[in-house]
Amino acid sequence: MHHQFNSPDGPVDVTVAKQGDDWILGEHKAVLESDGRIRIHLANGVSGYATVAKVGDNWWVHFQGHTFNLERIEPGATQGGNDGGLTAPMPGKVLDVLVEEGQSVESGQTLMVLEAMKMEHRILASATGTITDVYFSAGDQVQQGSVLLAMSEEED
Amino acid sequence: MVSKVLVANRGEIACRILRACSEAGLESVAIYAENDAASLFVELADESVMLHGDTIAETYLDQNQILMIAGETGADAIHPGFGFLSERADFARAVTAAGIQWVGPSANAIEKMGDKMTARITMRDAGVPVIPGEEIESTDEEEALMAIQQASTRVGYPLLLKASSGGGGKGMRAVEHPEELLDAARSARREALAAFGDGRVYLERLLTGSKHVEIQVLADRHGRTIHLGERECSVQRRHQKVFEEAPCATMTEEIRAAMGKAAVAAAMAVNYEGAGTVEFLLAPNGEFFFLEMNTRIQVEHPVTELVTGVDIVREQLRIAAGEPMSCGELHIRGHAIEVRLYAEDASNNFLPAIGPLAVFIPPEGPGIRLDTGVRQGDEVTPNYDPMLAKLIVWAPSREEALQRMRRSLEEFVVLGTTTNLRFLRELCDVPDVVEGTTDTTMIDRLWPDGWSPSVPVHIEDAALMAAAVGESAGLHRLRSTPSSRSDDPSGPASPFATLNRRYP
Repeated sequence: MHHQFNSPDGPVDVTVAKQGDDWILGEHKAVLESDGRIRIHLANGVSGYATVAKVGDNWWVHFQGHTFNLERIEPGATQGGNDGGLTAPMPGKVLDVLVEEGQSVESGQTLMVLEAMKMEHRILASATGTITDVYFSAGDQVQQGSVLLAMSEEED
Repeated sequence: MVSKVLVANRGEIACRILRACSEAGLESVAIYAENDAASLFVELADESVMLHGDTIAETYLDQNQILMIAGETGADAIHPGFGFLSERADFARAVTAAGIQWVGPSANAIEKMGDKMTARITMRDAGVPVIPGEEIESTDEEEALMAIQQASTRVGYPLLLKASSGGGGKGMRAVEHPEELLDAARSARREALAAFGDGRVYLERLLTGSKHVEIQVLADRHGRTIHLGERECSVQRRHQKVFEEAPCATMTEEIRAAMGKAAVAAAMAVNYEGAGTVEFLLAPNGEFFFLEMNTRIQVEHPVTELVTGVDIVREQLRIAAGEPMSCGELHIRGHAIEVRLYAEDASNNFLPAIGPLAVFIPPEGPGIRLDTGVRQGDEVTPNYDPMLAKLIVWAPSREEALQRMRRSLEEFVVLGTTTNLRFLRELCDVPDVVEGTTDTTMIDRLWPDGWSPSVPVHIEDAALMAAAVGESAGLHRLRSTPSSRSDDPSGPASPFATLNRRYP
């Protein structure tokens, strides 16, 4: 069966096949245990139990001290590109807006200051460009993922 | 006499105190905000009372409401834990005035030590060395900024701005260059004002290459003030501790004795009662400087408990009841390490994370202690501090303690919410940590552009395969995860359900 996951380095295609009780991926082998864990035997001789859980579209996997959060890309879904939108990394409150629409900004410049969990977080420009929209003002509550500002990047 | 303790806190430390009450045969009362109704600490108490209100100020910081609940439930003592109201002298005073025993030092001692500027002055007068710096008393924004600017030229760069009412890294800013000073000062003042209602900040020279070493003290009403040796907490990110140990790897008997003496003197200077911690910066040449005194139980108290055999929370309860402390002479045995499990993305500037704890399986085996405020199925919300639990290990030697910590961190499974587990695991391999030569700038120095995990390719292959097998086998439809908890598979309860019990 073919699946696609988003890894930090981009989408990864994974195809596994079932042979009897075993799942096969190239030279790697896996067995689904009755307690829901997955016993993995890798081609290089490494083996161990993976603990997995699906939350929303994401598969969380723990294997040998490493934890992964792999978003499953639904078949047919298109990849949303980054349009230069600047989003809230966490829910919180806008403390300060340091730019206005139409203002030119430099890469790394502080655009907005958020407060969450009693700590301040600065929203920085990821590139040099112009602010095209400011969606929140000081005092507003924002949700995780809320688009805070929009900017157009400068073409070199 | 103390017979019923109200715990004015939540999460991990509330659990720690409630368990101590249970062991001591004391009745206990938990108070909780509505969004904590399903939290672990609520069920560990004999009685739990919900606080009215939405914000932290309207709940865990609402002194009147908490005192009212204490009265209604007949609690004769209040344990504040750490954070929240633990270092609020006005609360300690109000509790005492209500005829309830405050588990902690007097309001007077809290005031003297809680205001960091007053503490600096008190310590200087008591002959305890303090870090070169200047106090800025002005509360007016413009006046304060001007004074800070003038003081900065005398203190020198790099310097540290610290909130006078601060703690936990809040209202603290390191300033490397003069041109960053005003922005940093405004930001520190604003954060301090929001967190503590007091925007005053002071300046200290930033001493790089120093260790953060602190001494645990205990004082009772029977004339005893003792210290329980040191903890080293140099490994910090954003001025918050992540890795703590006892004893300090580079400690000598002479420095321990001198530091212990200074800590006891600090406690006695304010007629201290109960458990407290005197923090020092220890320079490479063995010189040490007073940082501050925390007039409460501390997050990292378990490492001291494991190497000294003293139950500090139990001693707090004993001392509050007017009994003499039970600990004898100081004996340090073996080595203990604590790491703080945070819901945060260590690879993205340690930003707090939220989500369900779909799987939460702590490590087990010899020498392991878990102080947790959460369990599997809980939801990590943005409402409170992102610290979920503390993992503490003990072993006969430092080397073995590190080995045990590595093993424990590899066994620890948390799925559904991003945590710093892998960061902590990699920390155990850092040469400075292995050698015991950590200092307070280590994390920034090692990872100036942020940390990211090093993942062997075959481990990632295994993870991708596990996810693909899970999806292919429909594992998510077979097992219930917290996000699907609302669909109850068992159907409506039968009205005829009975409890069948057979007697032999």
